[in-house]
Amino acid sequence: MTATPALALLRADGVAKRFGDEPAVAGINLDLVAGEIHALVGLNGAGKTTLMRLLLGMVRPDAGRVTLRTDGAPVEVAHVPPPAWRAVGHLVETPFTYAELTVTETVRSAARLHGMTADDAKTAAEQVIDELALRHWASRRTCTLSLGNRQRVGLACALVHHPDVLVLDEPTNALDPAGVLLVRRRLLEAAAGGAAVLVSSHHLDEMARIADRITVLHRGQVIGSLPPGGTDLERLFFEMVYAAEGVTDEEVLAGVTSDRATRDRATETEVH
Amino acid sequence: MGAALAVETLKLRKATAARVAAVAVVVVAPAMSAGFLAAARSDIDGPLAAKIAPMLQGTGWTGLMGFVGQILSIGMLLAVGVVVSWSFGREFTDGTFGSLFALPTPRRDVATAKIVVLVHWGLDVAMAAVVLTLVLGMATGLGLPDTAAWSGAGKALVIAVLSVLLTIPLAWFASVFRGYLPAIAALLGTIMVTQVVTIAGAGAWFPYSAPGMWSGMGGLELAETVTPVQLLLAVPVAVVGAAATVWWWDRAEVV
Repeated sequence: MTATPALALLRADGVAKRFGDEPAVAGINLDLVAGEIHALVGLNGAGKTTLMRLLLGMVRPDAGRVTLRTDGAPVEVAHVPPPAWRAVGHLVETPFTYAELTVTETVRSAARLHGMTADDAKTAAEQVIDELALRHWASRRTCTLSLGNRQRVGLACALVHHPDVLVLDEPTNALDPAGVLLVRRRLLEAAAGGAAVLVSSHHLDEMARIADRITVLHRGQVIGSLPPGGTDLERLFFEMVYAAEGVTDEEVLAGVTSDRATRDRATETEVH
Repeated sequence: MGAALAVETLKLRKATAARVAAVAVVVVAPAMSAGFLAAARSDIDGPLAAKIAPMLQGTGWTGLMGFVGQILSIGMLLAVGVVVSWSFGREFTDGTFGSLFALPTPRRDVATAKIVVLVHWGLDVAMAAVVLTLVLGMATGLGLPDTAAWSGAGKALVIAVLSVLLTIPLAWFASVFRGYLPAIAALLGTIMVTQVVTIAGAGAWFPYSAPGMWSGMGGLELAETVTPVQLLLAVPVAVVGAAATVWWWDRAEVV
């Protein structure tokens, strides 16, 4: 007896996007499955944010298609009926924060825009403010918060309506260690509750702790996957990147040595 | 639409830009009008009265309400225009536009809610300015409002409403050029073009000139030449501006 494959809630099939001559995303297949945390890792400019924007309909693909499963059937994101987006929460780049609003007003506003009634939004906002340890700042305007706390507010806005699909671009950016732990716990809880989670990060060890799948992106393409819970992920990651670039570890090491020698010579020149 | 209206109302109610603009119109326009008129009355043969005389369309309530109508024609365009530009443009300069995707509240509803809330706010500001002018008129010795006062108040209110409607296309500028500064530049450019068109003699057919001309900025004779059709051109300008903005918000991508 074979296990039934899990249905993808959000899926990209051969999706591609160029900005001018630059291919930002080049034919990527990716799926988000209920109850699973799927991590995207890659260097800056690898295409993680563009891929997330494509998944959320923020940009239209040049090729391929992105579908969201609504009422049991996949629907292309450009044609998803608005109420179906209630199942999705996201934080991509800038948090949903308006300088003039307090933390509570911001989170309630996000809940309303995510389809909650005023009463439900009030209750849900209070709950997520406590969960993300924002109570102390609840009455403060968001413009007075630190970068890390604004990021927490953005996360609260993405989580407040208990979405089935979560798309988070580097959610632990600017967070202190306590904030990182909170986010990690919240994402694990969301996945345990059946949500499909897509999260990007530069922190490989962080992803190793929480992800069920780790996909490596480089120059807009999927170049492999890393074993979740594995060790020495950084070495494996760079091996993939170097292989994609067509260079060896030795060549990279020689480059680093050469750079160091150049720097040392420059320092000697300055000293003498 | 209810959620978008609630959120946009909250944002505008808490916004410093809207508060400053409202105070500028509601306090400054009536205070300037009543103050200048009172100064002119107390200094009939003086230099101040001589300077103000060309702007006055009469004495008493007629003069006061005519004066405030002139100030509102340009004041409302500037104040509401800046707030409209900010309300739409800030979503791009603050980077929040992307947060408005993948929501059960469509972006066309958010754009429509912004326009509805801004127009409502503009009407409230106009009404408050006219009411305060009536109060200041009584406080400066004009007595209880008479027929001329109510007629002048109605005309000032219509001028203010037309000016509010004429600011709506700025929402499109702020959206398409993704920021409030391009829209504010468009506002300033429109005011300059209005001056040129008015001087060139085609004023009343240019929608942005008609309310100011009707208010008497070019003199009473010119004001009488302005027709209702010319004034009502502000309505299609507003409708086209609103439709273009909502259409753009429905189709725009994040860049």
